[in-house]
Parts: sequence; C-alpha cells; structure tokens
Amino acid sequence: MLKVENLRAGYSGDDAVRGISIEVTEGSCIALVGANGAGKSTLAKTLCGLLTPRGGRVIFDGKEITGLSASEVARRGLCLCPEGRRVFGPLTVEENLLLGAYPRLPSFGPFRRAASGDLQRIYAMFPRLRERRSQQAGSLSGGEQQMLAIGRVLMANPRFVVLDEPSMGLAPLVVKEVFEAICSLHASGMTILLSEQFAKIALVVSNYAYIIERGSVVLEGASKGLAENPAVMSAYLG
Amino acid sequence: MDAKYLALVQMAVGGGVMGMAYALVAYGFQLTYAAGKAVNFGQGELVMLGAFAGITLSGIGLPYWAVVPGAMVVGALLGWFIERVAVRLALKQRNEGWILLTIIVGLFALSSVENIWGREDRPFPVPWPAEALDFFGISFTWSELAIVVGALGMMTLVELAKRYTMAGIAVQAVSADPDAAELCGIRSQSAISLSWAVSGAAAAFAGTVIGPVTTVGPTMAAALTLKAFSVAVVAGLDSGFGLVIAGVALGAAENLSGYALGSGWREAPGLILLILALALRPQGVFGKKIIRKV
Ligand SMILES: Nc1ncnc2c1ncn2[C@@H]1O[C@H](COP(=O)(O)OP(=O)(O)OP(=O)(O)O)[C@@H](O)[C@H]1O
Ligand SMILES: [Mg+2]
Repeated sequence: MLKVENLRAGYSGDDAVRGISIEVTEGSCIALVGANGAGKSTLAKTLCGLLTPRGGRVIFDGKEITGLSASEVARRGLCLCPEGRRVFGPLTVEENLLLGAYPRLPSFGPFRRAASGDLQRIYAMFPRLRERRSQQAGSLSGGEQQMLAIGRVLMANPRFVVLDEPSMGLAPLVVKEVFEAICSLHASGMTILLSEQFAKIALVVSNYAYIIERGSVVLEGASKGLAENPAVMSAYLG
Repeated sequence: MDAKYLALVQMAVGGGVMGMAYALVAYGFQLTYAAGKAVNFGQGELVMLGAFAGITLSGIGLPYWAVVPGAMVVGALLGWFIERVAVRLALKQRNEGWILLTIIVGLFALSSVENIWGREDRPFPVPWPAEALDFFGISFTWSELAIVVGALGMMTLVELAKRYTMAGIAVQAVSADPDAAELCGIRSQSAISLSWAVSGAAAAFAGTVIGPVTTVGPTMAAALTLKAFSVAVVAGLDSGFGLVIAGVALGAAENLSGYALGSGWREAPGLILLILALALRPQGVFGKKIIRKV
C-alpha cells in the first residue's frame, strides 16, 4: 500500500534521513523504532508532505506522491498524527475534530450535520472527548490531547495513518490507554505506521518493525522476533 | 449642559466616529496577520480604491445598495491580488521584503488613481438626507451613523463567519498551526488568500462608509494607513475588539487636540501613539512570529 524507496530528507545541514526504504502492506501495523534523533519524525514528515524530500520516491496506492503538499497527501487518505500532538489550542475539542474532516465538509454550509455521524463514532471511541467537546483543546491534559490528535486523524476517514510518538510525555497508565486505542484501530483493519521511541510497546502492537539509527534502517524483521532477540533489545533499544 | 462642555463632547463624538473607521481598516490588518503573518501597508490605498470604485459604480447609475457590494468585490480582488503577486513571493524567500512590496503596490495604486480620477476630492453619493440628527444635544449625520453601524456590523459579520463556518474555522486553524492544518487537508495557502480577500473587501467597504463623510481623494490613503496601523499596533495584531476602543480613543484624541492646539496638531496623537507603541515593544511589531518563520 505504501512504498518508500531510498528516501532522503533533512533540514538546513546534513540529511537526517539517509536513503530509507520501507514497505507497508494493507492492514498491517508497522513500527519505526530508534533512539532520539534517529530520524523517525523526519521520515514521517517527509512521507506526509511536510518536508520536501531531497531524493527517493514515495508511492502510495500505486501512485507516486513524492513532493506533494501535506494537504494533498492527506486528501488521498495518508494522514499523519504528528509528534507533539499539535492540536489547535485556541479552538474547541469539537472544532479540532471537525477540522480533521475538513475536505469532506461544506466550507460555508451546515457542517455539523454533515459530520455528526463521524463525531459520534469518535466520541464513542474516546468518551472523554465528548465530555470536553466545548473546551479549548489547549486546556486538555496531555493524554486527552493525544486522544484528540488521534480522533482528529480518524475524522478524515484515512486509509493509512502515521502515528508519530503517541506516547510522548505521557504517564505509563495513559500510554497504556493510548496503545489500547491503537490496537483496536489496527484490529478494525486500519493500516498503521507507528513511530515510537518506546520500543517494547511498539514491538508488541506491530507486526513488523524497522529499526532506525542515524537516518538509516539498520535492522528489520517481524516484531515478535525482534522483541525476543536480547542482542537487538540491548544494542538498539536500550 | 454647559455649552463649552457640550462642544467638546460633540468633537469627541465626531472624532470617535472616524475612529470607528480606523478600527475597521485596522481590522483588515488583523485578518491577514492572523492567517499569514503579514499585513498590507497599502491598506489605506485599498480604502481609497474602494471609495473610487464606489463613486464610479454610482456614476454608471447603480443604486447605493449595489454600489457597496460592488466596491467590496473590487476590494476583495485587489486584496487577493496583492497577496498573490507581492507578499507570497517575499514570504517564500523568508524575508521581510513584503513590507516594501505592499508599500510599492500602494504607491502604484495611488498614482494610477491620480491619473484616472485626478487629484481633487470628490463627494461620495449617498441615498440618505444630509441633515444632522440630534441626540441629547449631540448632532451627527446619517453618514456618520453609517460608519458606526457599518464598521461594527462588518467586524461582527466576519467574526461570526470565522466561528460558524468551516472555512472560518480552517482559517483559525491555519493561524494557530499551519503545518497541523495542512495535515488536516486544509490548503493553508487558500486560507491565506481568503483572508487577504476578506481584508481587501473590508477595506473597500470602509472606503464606501468613510467617503461620504470625508469626501474621496488620493490624500486619504496614507493618513488612513498610518492611523489604522497605530490602532492595530496598540490593540495588538493578534485579535480582539480592542481595536474599536483604540480606534475611538484615537479619533476622539485627534479632534480634541486639533481643537486645543490648533488644527495642525490633529495628526499628533496618531504619531505619538505609534512611537509609544513601537518603543514599548522593543522586539518589533511583528515580534517572535517572523523570527519563527525565518
Ligand atoms: N526542525 C528541525 N530543524 C533542524 N534539525 C532538525 C529539526 N527536527 C529534527 N532535526 C534533526 O534531525 C535529526 C532527526 O530528528 P528526528 O526528529 O527525525 O528524530 P526522531 O527519531 O524523531 O527523534 P525523537 O525520538 O526524539 O522524536 C536530529 O539530528 C535532529 O536534531
Ligand atoms: Mg520524533
């Protein structure tokens, strides 16, 4: 479903992603693991069009999407839930969710009616968001903001979601809650690319994983095998 | 009431009415600043062009109620155009060249107006009577009433659209976090274009309500840009109806200082306000936002 070929990308200096190739088949959950600064977020941002690649190709659904803007990529169903959540702080929880469905909603017409089915679906998944739907997103707790960020991505009815560091800055109990949501999403058939520093949990929820170090894939394999390999765990994942 | 006191109040009210117009023009700065972190330093020229468009449309026989929306369409197209040809390119280069470019576009508009319509001031035709209304001894004209109602109505309408349409919420999202907005499938560039078009329409609308009070000529532009900019800087470029308070205060102060010190001092409060605001904001008017862009 998604094929990344020899992708290179970076910021002002050297490449932060130095020729990464990965493949994701429909319905799978693939993990990207690696330490701080390995290049996972850079890869995620480049896939989704926030960064322009310096080389390589991204193919989604058989069509090349390399270099398209993030909004075009999102409209094709490849949606990123960015690192650090990036909810729209001054807007309400419900407005944040509605924005996730933006391309489908009438710009000047009655949008709430058009989105109400999808809103109910997200609220059923995250009841806490329903309770807080008219609260400013910036005033939510970290865990609630992460739920909102995931809910916002799901409002797009994506065919593929990239989750970047969903556990970042969350208490262990909240991390568990977030990952339960990710698991049930995967169980419902969603294709997921999960970028995660917290390798143990990422290898539990994923089918297959790529280990990234200094901008390159250093190891890949079935998640189960990687998790059971003590050498891998200590060498790459601390 | 004491006649002298009443005269002062009368002057303050007249100035405050003009201040509402400054607030409306300043509101145009806020609109584009929120979405794209840039403003049009030729906003006063847009007001003037809106007024001339209105005069021209009345000249060909359109009724007032068609003239105002017609001028707003012209303003919207001009606002959109300025962003498209000048501001976007400079921001792509990640520099502040847009400041100069919007000033240049404004000067170009000004000389075009002088060539087409000439330098003399013209009246702006309105359908209501010229006589003044009396409100507890304070008199004001229908045209002044139109400024107040028009400015408040226009700002309220746009604010409602920002909150209660998906397009408006998307513009707010772009101003909060353009990358996250893109990830939602919002074309942030379209949101910025929209905000420039609305800002241009608001400026042209301002022209159609200011014109009947001040008459319309090329000289109105620069003064309006400066005053609206002072108001926007004092009230903050980010948002809020603080603009109305700052605008009314400035307008009233202008009239009162003109009265107390002589008409040559009318412009003093605006300049003092601007200098004070700039001095009290050492990080610059555009502050951190621009630095983040660079
Ligand atoms: N906005 C930026 N500007 C410049 N350099 C950046 C930027 N973001 C990341 N980098 C650099 O790119 C490299 C890869 O960073 P990236 O964020 O992709 O790592 P990561 O694997 O996501 O790390 P983490 O687990 O901490 O999120 C790092 O060396 C980092 O310093
Ligand atoms: Mg990261």
